[in-house]
Amino acid sequence: STDMLMSSDKEEDPDVISEDSSLLTLRIRKKALERREETIIVDRACRQETLAYEMESHAIGKRPDNPTDTAEEGELLLTLNIFYPVIFQKHKDHKPYQTVLVLGSQKLTELRDSISCVSDLQIGGEFSSQPDQAPEHISKDLYKSAFFYFEGIFYNDRRYPECRDLSRTIIEWSESHDRGYGNLQSVKMEDYVFNDVSLKIGFPYLFCHQGNCEHIIIITDIRLIHHDDCLDRNLYPLLIKKHWLCTRKCFVCKMYTARWVTNRDSLAPEDPCFFCDVCFRMLHYDAEGNKLGEFLAYPYVDPGIFN
Amino acid sequence: MSSVPGLQADCEELLGAFQQADTVRFERFAELWRERRFHTVFYGRIRALERNKLTKKTLELAQQYFLPPYAFQIRVGALYLLYGLYNTQLCQPKQKIRIALKDWPEIQKFQQDLIDSQHYDAAYIFRRLRLARAFHFTAMPKLLNYRTKKKIEENEFKEEFKDPSNRVNSLITNDVLEELMNIHDHYQKMKCFISADKSQPDKALSLIKDDFVVTLKDITLEHQEWQQNRMKLFLNAKETDETENKKKDETLLQSEGSERASALARIKYRSYSAVAEASKSRRHRQVKLESSESGKSPSRSRKTSRRAQAARRRDSPEVRGETELAKETVTRHIGMPVIVEENSDE
Repeated sequence: STDMLMSSDKEEDPDVISEDSSLLTLRIRKKALERREETIIVDRACRQETLAYEMESHAIGKRPDNPTDTAEEGELLLTLNIFYPVIFQKHKDHKPYQTVLVLGSQKLTELRDSISCVSDLQIGGEFSSQPDQAPEHISKDLYKSAFFYFEGIFYNDRRYPECRDLSRTIIEWSESHDRGYGNLQSVKMEDYVFNDVSLKIGFPYLFCHQGNCEHIIIITDIRLIHHDDCLDRNLYPLLIKKHWLCTRKCFVCKMYTARWVTNRDSLAPEDPCFFCDVCFRMLHYDAEGNKLGEFLAYPYVDPGIFN
Repeated sequence: MSSVPGLQADCEELLGAFQQADTVRFERFAELWRERRFHTVFYGRIRALERNKLTKKTLELAQQYFLPPYAFQIRVGALYLLYGLYNTQLCQPKQKIRIALKDWPEIQKFQQDLIDSQHYDAAYIFRRLRLARAFHFTAMPKLLNYRTKKKIEENEFKEEFKDPSNRVNSLITNDVLEELMNIHDHYQKMKCFISADKSQPDKALSLIKDDFVVTLKDITLEHQEWQQNRMKLFLNAKETDETENKKKDETLLQSEGSERASALARIKYRSYSAVAEASKSRRHRQVKLESSESGKSPSRSRKTSRRAQAARRRDSPEVRGETELAKETVTRHIGMPVIVEENSDE
């Protein structure tokens, strides 16, 4: 018995649902399609959908150039949902997240490095007087500490001397009184791979960096690696799904993404007000670079920067 | 994940037809499949992203029928269904079938059963799927959903597909009976040992009936036969009532054409069949009652602690009779106790 028995014998167009279908699924689908035809003028994939599909499928079946980089047969593949920290109020109900695939034999530090959060790129400080001297150091370089929390164990990033044990406060707090938490331990992130970590599927865990930027992590799936998956180790942790955030545009030109935000600005109509670099300088500084009016200006990194 | 509308009904219809055909041959399934042109279930101008999701959900739905507690025939049907859906899907590369780790030993046992009972076509189909690398071996059967659902969807699968839950049989297995026999013998020997006459125990020591193990076995066999008969009657009754009630069904469906109407039709249709079936089965049941009565009259009077379980099943229905009565019009199942049906006035 071959699968010729399943397929039709004449040429069929999968897009057309025949009139006399006995399947309920098809009847319902046909109605939905007809409704779609009536209401939608141009029926094609929008760019978000194309992007989402691309992200999901771009790495399928990839093989590495160097054979030593191939994922092995018994390798586990974990699917993690990493939620963004809630910045906008509308995110409180449907939290946006990104989905990452991770190999079981990868270290936790590799995942930590792959998580891109907008708070890593913030530049602290007020620069209204010296707009050209906004420092190069982003927060990611300054505050390198981070930890994961899985099942009662804090995995701290200790690769650099600047990294501190952020979890120490929490452990001390839980030990100070009988708060009902079991023994919380603190270990080094770089010593562990995912195969060593005990996990529950569907249970929310935490990733904390920058001292107070917290991301919830949920493991949605663990499975054995498959012939059709991407077998190139270098591509993991692999991002397969990302939330699309609308970027805030400059108030003046409404074209470029905002790079500066001002407070208590006598020249701006609202507080806070966002400007792109060019409009910011044109409005607030004269030809010689002197500051006009009173305001506080901060460099702004839009959360949609990763789109 | 929210389910694909109509898919469950279609799958159940196909599996139901397969169950009616009362065979596990793949040719028969393929005929049913071709009749319904089931491969068109993926048609309809669906874009790539949506198609992936749809195929995943379809395979997941079909996979649920592949595992216990469904009956053997349904599981073989589900295997064929998975094979068909996997091969006719339009996604490239193909979406895989998820099998959880905990289910894998059962599936291997199932495959061994297939080979032992010489259903080589089913075993071959399974082997083909394995070779085609159609399975994802996962930790959990369902891929998780990250949206908080407004309401929890309850999957109600058809009762007929399930293997009649053989709790009595799973409790009183052959091993258990054997052990009981051994203990009983040992007990008898001990009694003989301590009594004056070494060949048989004292009269004062006879506290239990001697052949209760045999009786227990007889009762469980009877229960199993009763259950099988009940299933057969139910299926037969459903068939004959279907033709009568089809007209009522159709008019109801056509007049409103909405889901609510079809749900109402289904409930009415079920209650009709329950009523009709009660009368039919009562007739049968009465016959059976007499025959079982005659055969079992000596056993009716036993009252031992071991028998309490079996006895409780017969006695408590009298107490529960009233509640069973109320439930009869709503559910499709007839209460097991014989005594209830004599008292009911349907």
